[in-house]
Amino acid sequence: MLNFDEIFVTRNWFGKPVRRDADTRFVKGEGSYVDDLNMDCVYAGFVRSPHAHARLGKIDTSKAEALKGVLAVMTGPEVAALTKPVGARAITRPARQHVMATGKVRYVGEPVAVVVAEDRYTVEDALDLVEVEYEPLPVVVEVEEAMKAGAPLVFEEAETNVLLHDTLTHGDIDGAFRQADLVVKEQFRIQRFSSTPLENWAIIAKHEKGTDSFVVWANCQQPGRSIVNVCGCLGIPANKLRFIVPDSGGGFGIKLALWPYIVSQCVVARKVDKPVKWIQTRREHLLAGTHTPDCVVDLELALKRDGKVLGLKIRDRQNDGSFVHTAGIYNLIKFATMVGCYDIKATQAELMSIVSNKAPTVQNRGVGKPAMIFTLERLMHRAAVQLGLDPAEIRFRNFVQPEQMPHTTPSGEIYESGNYPETLRKALAQIGYDGVKKEQESLRKQGKYIGVGLSASIEPGTSNLGYYYTSRGTPEYMGNAEGAIVSMDYDGNVNVLLGSVDEGQGHATSVAQVVADMLAFTPERVTMNTHMDSLVSPFLGHSGCYANRFNDVDMGAVIMATKKVRDKVLKIGAHMLGVPEGEVRLKDGAVCSAAEAKKSAPFKDIATVAYKQILLLPKGVEPGLKEVAYYKNEIAKMPGKEDFNVQMTHSNSVHAAVVEVDVESGMVSFRKYVIAHDCGRHINPGIVDGMAIGSTVHGVGTVLLEEFIYDENGQILTTSFVDYMKPLAVGLPRFELTHLESPCPTSLLGTKAVGEGGAIGSLAAIANAVEDALAPFGVKVTSLPITPEKVMRAIRETKVI
Amino acid sequence: MIPPKFEYLAPTSLAEATAFLAAHPEEAKVVAGGQSLVPVLKLRLARPGYLVDLGRISGLSYIREEAGTIAIGALTTYAEIKESALLREKCPLLPQTAAVIADVQVRNRGTIGGSLSHADPSADMPAPILALGAELKAVGPKGERRIAVENFFHGMFATALAPDEILTEIRVPVLTGQRSAYLKAARRATDFALVGVAVRMRVGKNETCDEIAIGVTGVADKAYRPAAVERALAGKRLEPKAIEQAAAAAVQGVEPLGNIHGSAEYRANLARLYVARAIAAAK
Repeated sequence: MLNFDEIFVTRNWFGKPVRRDADTRFVKGEGSYVDDLNMDCVYAGFVRSPHAHARLGKIDTSKAEALKGVLAVMTGPEVAALTKPVGARAITRPARQHVMATGKVRYVGEPVAVVVAEDRYTVEDALDLVEVEYEPLPVVVEVEEAMKAGAPLVFEEAETNVLLHDTLTHGDIDGAFRQADLVVKEQFRIQRFSSTPLENWAIIAKHEKGTDSFVVWANCQQPGRSIVNVCGCLGIPANKLRFIVPDSGGGFGIKLALWPYIVSQCVVARKVDKPVKWIQTRREHLLAGTHTPDCVVDLELALKRDGKVLGLKIRDRQNDGSFVHTAGIYNLIKFATMVGCYDIKATQAELMSIVSNKAPTVQNRGVGKPAMIFTLERLMHRAAVQLGLDPAEIRFRNFVQPEQMPHTTPSGEIYESGNYPETLRKALAQIGYDGVKKEQESLRKQGKYIGVGLSASIEPGTSNLGYYYTSRGTPEYMGNAEGAIVSMDYDGNVNVLLGSVDEGQGHATSVAQVVADMLAFTPERVTMNTHMDSLVSPFLGHSGCYANRFNDVDMGAVIMATKKVRDKVLKIGAHMLGVPEGEVRLKDGAVCSAAEAKKSAPFKDIATVAYKQILLLPKGVEPGLKEVAYYKNEIAKMPGKEDFNVQMTHSNSVHAAVVEVDVESGMVSFRKYVIAHDCGRHINPGIVDGMAIGSTVHGVGTVLLEEFIYDENGQILTTSFVDYMKPLAVGLPRFELTHLESPCPTSLLGTKAVGEGGAIGSLAAIANAVEDALAPFGVKVTSLPITPEKVMRAIRETKVI
Repeated sequence: MIPPKFEYLAPTSLAEATAFLAAHPEEAKVVAGGQSLVPVLKLRLARPGYLVDLGRISGLSYIREEAGTIAIGALTTYAEIKESALLREKCPLLPQTAAVIADVQVRNRGTIGGSLSHADPSADMPAPILALGAELKAVGPKGERRIAVENFFHGMFATALAPDEILTEIRVPVLTGQRSAYLKAARRATDFALVGVAVRMRVGKNETCDEIAIGVTGVADKAYRPAAVERALAGKRLEPKAIEQAAAAAVQGVEPLGNIHGSAEYRANLARLYVARAIAAAK
């Protein structure tokens, strides 16, 4: 591995809060999103099922087809006949599903027919004219019903609704529970929620008649896997699909799952022989986009009297809705970091992926870690109270210590770095922990109820993708890597291309900072085109923007490609200066003689030689200055149940929240909020702060507001932002950040995961604070979201939120 | 927005507008600021054949004092009400309410007339309008009539307005020597009211309640005045205990409704709580 000290020539930009000038175009309305692309498109829309579960009868498209301006109507069964089924990754039971409904519908909003017309108004009018016969079937909504004997089956061929059921045991779990002085257990229910990026899904699909090939523009988050999946479903070779991702307005995982719509759109594009555009509406996004699965988690902690945790058991029943492609993924990720920040020697995870008549689920910000850390940190709080320990103290007694790093968890996850006790100490100092406790006592006497909550969490990054297959044993993917092309143009400026995409994270700025310091010049001279085009971008089967991996493998690829360019620039420069190769160095955008600084060849001159005056190149050196490199994280293990690392970098944080509960109305408000955060070295501290705060706001929504509510018939009741409530700036606390930097020894820059942390760590901090505030009433928090109505009812009657 | 097809009409006089409404009572829908209608058009939940835009009819947006009352044109926006120096001085309950309606964008477009005509059971404006005992002026093809506010709201999205009538003016009293407050319970700052309570009262010597009027929104199918609370407090000293006891009758005689944001039971509890808090805040 390239040593950190060998990467940079200067340190003018790395680690500095460089302004995101590359992204001002987004706020000025000058971005280039899918809907901005104007290529004489026609428009698509989907007829969606009003039933949660029904046998699909006759679909009469004649009236819609007769409407002026309608170009084509294709039914789900027609599309299915022309495509291959969707592949499943984690589940072990057989379940067959196509990109559109065929045979039956399995959730409200499932696409039943696709309409293409000359304009969007005609599309919407035509959707009403498609007549579909449904024969309603019994519905399963919640996991308990879905698991009952004789429950209606979502996928008959699976013969059960539990499509993955596995138990993974590591260490002496029975011994741990035998030796325990105290077992603390609780059942938690975590709701369905999601991310709602500013830009919904958007696709243009174009069929090239002459070559019978496709060009797709989509705001897809993981082009690598989408290309594989789309080609697979269409039954075409990869060289028949050009895949382009232009600007994209936020992802958070939700844009990993739009590829089934790309498949159906390609099918209709071939039929109408025109580029077909589909812009998902917000209602469609909330109704039948993709959600985070809701789950029922039973957690048990075995403890000694001194607070030391001996063992941990989880029984995770996860409602994966009705998308076989992603079912089971959350279970496996929860299991990977189930011990959180703690040195727990024995674990057992019983994992169940359950299908139901709810909407599809997909990996969403933190994927399972929010639920895992929420339940674990809730129980740590509970255990402390039961043992008469301070909630901070019980954590200190169980943390993996800095001198234990790298630490391998019972299941094989490698925590490569971090100082967990120091992170907690910083959080306690910043929140004024002891002061808050005193204030709490005096306010209670005045009838005011405040509480303080802590949550220590792991924020992993860079998935080892074999985890999908640990229960199946046949990995199609494993490890994680990314590709980059770095080229110095003939004029001496630099261009960067990645196989991955940018969803608004500011990749162009971060890349320019690193490349500028590697080449001893300025970020203004580095341009990163954040668009992905499969014709030119160096991509792998899993390329994309997900799992907090940019700072690791994406940046690794950029560094390795830049280094190749740098080596070549030095070689040509030395030759031009007539100096031996070992006696030159980079300075101010030029190669100069180490002995005689004035003797220098600017990049522009070197590039001129490389591209134009190629007869002046040193012997054996190829013309041009364009280099491609792929970089993989080296610590990925081969998938296996006994010993496996699901993620490869591990940031950590402690969230500390002080809340006030209005015990008459049940309303919860913030008094103070601290995030102590360690994601190793920062490329751009401004971006890191933004991500830490943004992800925490996401968590605030999860704890207090957001929920996809289904009634007993499987009808979803929350399909607008009036009913699906996102947090607003008004009502949020001022987030106080404090950072540690424990460099990651296994990434080139010492950086590690950032972007999901707040969505993981905040849930328990806020919930613990609410439970602490309501301690005089004996109220326990076991479910999310914590709504004012639940709080009021708990205080008055039930004692349980 | 991809609404169903409709014809857009922009009359320049009330006569023109009401004549058109009279000719198409079933198919035509009036639009002012569009803050309630446009969202349902967007979702195709409303499918009017004609949209009659009042925006080009002049003389419907004003706030002026006329013979001891304040007249407010129906097209006056929430933002204008919030900022009005006249209202702040002489009828602060309306600016107090307008200040907490939705967000800046909605306040800049939404109109008082639109809100009252739409009669959303969770809208804020009906509460103070009831508490103020406002008088509403409606214009139809046969001329104008005045409707007392207690006769205006008929139920969820239903008012005393005939299909060919347009609400043109709201008259409220000058509240000299009175105190007022609007308190709203909502999950988020910009949400509809779970419960909204408007209070105006005259407080006499020794903190006695000489006169009180309360409007409650968000609880039942329409905004209402909790008469039992008002009666219980009239002439009483405004002590916390008395307020709390009186507020216990906040939902007497009404049927609280629930939805996913709050059950009927929760709203009833909030109504009792917020009636008490609003009285205390006004005091």
